[in-house]
Amino acid sequence: MPRSKVYVKSVGMTTVADHWNDSILDLAVEASRGALKGHSKKPDQIIVGNMFSAVGARQEHLGALVATALGLAGIPAFKVEAACSSGGSAFNVGFNLVKWGAIDSALVVGVEKMRDLEPEEVSQALAMAESAEYTQFVGATFAALNGLLARYYMEQLGVTRDELSAIPVIDHANAVAAPHAQFRKAITPEVVSRSSMIADPLRLFDCAPVGDGAAAVLLVNDSAASGTKRKMAEVLGGKISTNDFSIYEREDMLDFKATRLAFKGALQEAGVAPGKLSTLEVHDAFSVVGALSLEAMGYSKRGQGAKDAKAGRYSRGSDLPINTFGGLKARGHPVGATGVYQIAEAYLQLTDQAGKNQVEGAKYAATQNIGGVDTTSAVHVFGRAA
Amino acid sequence: MSIQYWRIRDRYYRLIGSRCAECGAEFFPPLYRCRKCGSESIKDKEMPRTGKIMTYTHLHEPLPGFEAQAPLYLAVVKLDNGAKVLTQIVDSPDEAVKTGARVRATIRRALVDGDSGQIVYGFKFVVVN
Amino acid sequence: MHLMQSKNRAAILGYGAYVPYYRLPTTEIARVWKGGGSGPNIEKAVAGVDEDTVTMAIEAARQAVKMSGVESLGAVFVGTESKPYAVKPTSTIVAQALGQHHTLAADLEFACKAGTEAMQVITGLVGSGMIEAGLAIGMDTAQGRPGDDLEYTAASGGAAYVLGKMGKKAVAMIDCSTSFVSDTGDFWRRAHQRYPRHLSRFTGEPAYFYHIENSVNTLFKETGHKPSDFRYAVFHQPNPRFPVEVATRLGFTMEQIKTGLLNPLIGNTYAGSSPIGLAAVLDEAKPGDKILLASFGSGAGSDAFCIEVLDGITRTKGTNTTVRSMMERSTKIDYSTYSKFRDKLGK
Repeated sequence: MPRSKVYVKSVGMTTVADHWNDSILDLAVEASRGALKGHSKKPDQIIVGNMFSAVGARQEHLGALVATALGLAGIPAFKVEAACSSGGSAFNVGFNLVKWGAIDSALVVGVEKMRDLEPEEVSQALAMAESAEYTQFVGATFAALNGLLARYYMEQLGVTRDELSAIPVIDHANAVAAPHAQFRKAITPEVVSRSSMIADPLRLFDCAPVGDGAAAVLLVNDSAASGTKRKMAEVLGGKISTNDFSIYEREDMLDFKATRLAFKGALQEAGVAPGKLSTLEVHDAFSVVGALSLEAMGYSKRGQGAKDAKAGRYSRGSDLPINTFGGLKARGHPVGATGVYQIAEAYLQLTDQAGKNQVEGAKYAATQNIGGVDTTSAVHVFGRAA
Repeated sequence: MSIQYWRIRDRYYRLIGSRCAECGAEFFPPLYRCRKCGSESIKDKEMPRTGKIMTYTHLHEPLPGFEAQAPLYLAVVKLDNGAKVLTQIVDSPDEAVKTGARVRATIRRALVDGDSGQIVYGFKFVVVN
Repeated sequence: MHLMQSKNRAAILGYGAYVPYYRLPTTEIARVWKGGGSGPNIEKAVAGVDEDTVTMAIEAARQAVKMSGVESLGAVFVGTESKPYAVKPTSTIVAQALGQHHTLAADLEFACKAGTEAMQVITGLVGSGMIEAGLAIGMDTAQGRPGDDLEYTAASGGAAYVLGKMGKKAVAMIDCSTSFVSDTGDFWRRAHQRYPRHLSRFTGEPAYFYHIENSVNTLFKETGHKPSDFRYAVFHQPNPRFPVEVATRLGFTMEQIKTGLLNPLIGNTYAGSSPIGLAAVLDEAKPGDKILLASFGSGAGSDAFCIEVLDGITRTKGTNTTVRSMMERSTKIDYSTYSKFRDKLGK
């Protein structure tokens, strides 16, 4: 069976910010141009990761729209949607197409325009990732579902407020030196515990912010790589898994099954042992989601994710620094773009381009990108290109 | 908007969920295939109208359309048959809304389409004293 | 003869009331509009922001149907002046929620007496053998214009009755009733208007008293009953004073009316007012007790009933949610919360 090695050749990102002057297409083009810079050949395909352009920008059909804007009309192009894991899922499609030899190269661009909407409209757009008939119907936002989960986590497993605050604190510390991050300011646990209440017990600083952004990566196989791979990262494995759709449909609400299965599968394909990762991008859209993700991936025992974060096990300088550019909380979470930002960040680490955030000698990195409340999880594993 | 909800009004009004004809497990919302045993022989079944709170949250900014109720309580309720339901908790004092509290189903306005559109009714739960 | 009596008597097989959770003290209304004091009643029951006549009717009906053990309802009638829709029946939503489809469904409107006329119509349908059992509901989320005298009393609540053929399960027998009407404009609400209007003192003598005295005296005259035959009497209660006054005029004592007199604590629930008073009476009545029920609806008319409690009442004790327990499960709100709930801001 034809199976090519797949590389991330180059990446492009906009800052995550309130891009008042940029449209969804402006953002996608800026990130795409960054990823295509220095690559003379056209990519064979464009795959756009995006969650709610129909609501956020009254725009669908993003594949052809972006292709045209880049002067690439003619090649296949389409959008992949899997809620907040749209970016990771779009990447997974590109990875598989190149890996199995269907194409030699693909441009994967994740983009989200959120700021054209008022905050309550953003809540409504995001909630569309949950059941219209049984979740939106009761007025529940994503924050509400995570609030329900956070209380359950804290009450059932004895997790404290301060422990829950540890992951947002790590994120903000890491974002200070991240040029593309939305909030480059360190915070203390008190900032989290004193921020305004959103969905009791979750507070504002437990929740990823709203922002606009786009990130793009160029995927190539050996034949399209042409030349040195010194500045490339190899995609070693990738898997998408799903959980029972809504938290209330799950036997155990605290088991992030999608992440557990996707992480296991991706590492297996990569042939990398969990202990070998140098850095990990965790989808911490909410503090509790970060903690439960670390538990699902096996780095922390049940009920220990937040406690381990507080004990410093995931901070810079530890054996497994997470979210080295700020994660969802501080780099920002332009939902459909987030999964591609994570991959671009893993690329920066593995090609020694992470600047002050560099994890010295980083050998393997993984990214975990969730849609819903661990409803879909897309995990990818990367290594240095040989 | 209203047709989507009209279609499942019995689920909203009467808590009609699913029962697996093979293993007897019951579910709400309804499903197509039993999550316990995998059987596809699923029948409609009216759920018990009482249960207890597994977890809850006090939501300060609910979805558009629910502003007048903010802040509101949401809970995952485990019904007496084991099915789990996401619901609002209404007409209950703050100190009564807690994990483990007994609740019963009631019917309320769920969605109101402005001043001239239709009113969608659905279940909510109340803490039992 | 003006007496309405079915050849085959109909019986109450089940009943249920609904009183919402919120209470607005009338001192709050006085504080906002009149600079002190209080209204004629102490508090009034206020529906929550997500409640309306449909939701409250279903709650009461569920209890009534459960108590009755009836599986098939041949009629579902909702008497109300606060239909959530001007056009689209309340009764079909109630029927759907009860799983009833082969049923005659209708909304009745006659100001505050639509609930008792629903009972009369169902009595006729059952008595004639057209249906086995039917549901009569009197329920309202009554509204008074902010600052108007009506605002002190206009309240939310009511009761539902499953009426069917006599039998072992019968809680009480509807022995007979009368109706008396005339064209009297004491209280009205024109189409597309949000709040009703009323003529203050005119609502008393030519309206409330004239019609109730006529319906009850007709009942007395044609049945030979006298006030002392009744253990209980329930009159429409727009305020705490009128029912006491009309009871006295007709020869009833405080002892006979106090059980069903709920206005001081919940206000005037309009079409629900006399039906919920009857429910409170049934909560404590014993077999053999006779009950006089007299409604009043502006516009105007009164229905008077002679009801006899049967052995079936004993099976309901301790199993149903009583009116008093619903009145007790409550919380006080202030005028601003009330305004938010009843959508009075800027209206």
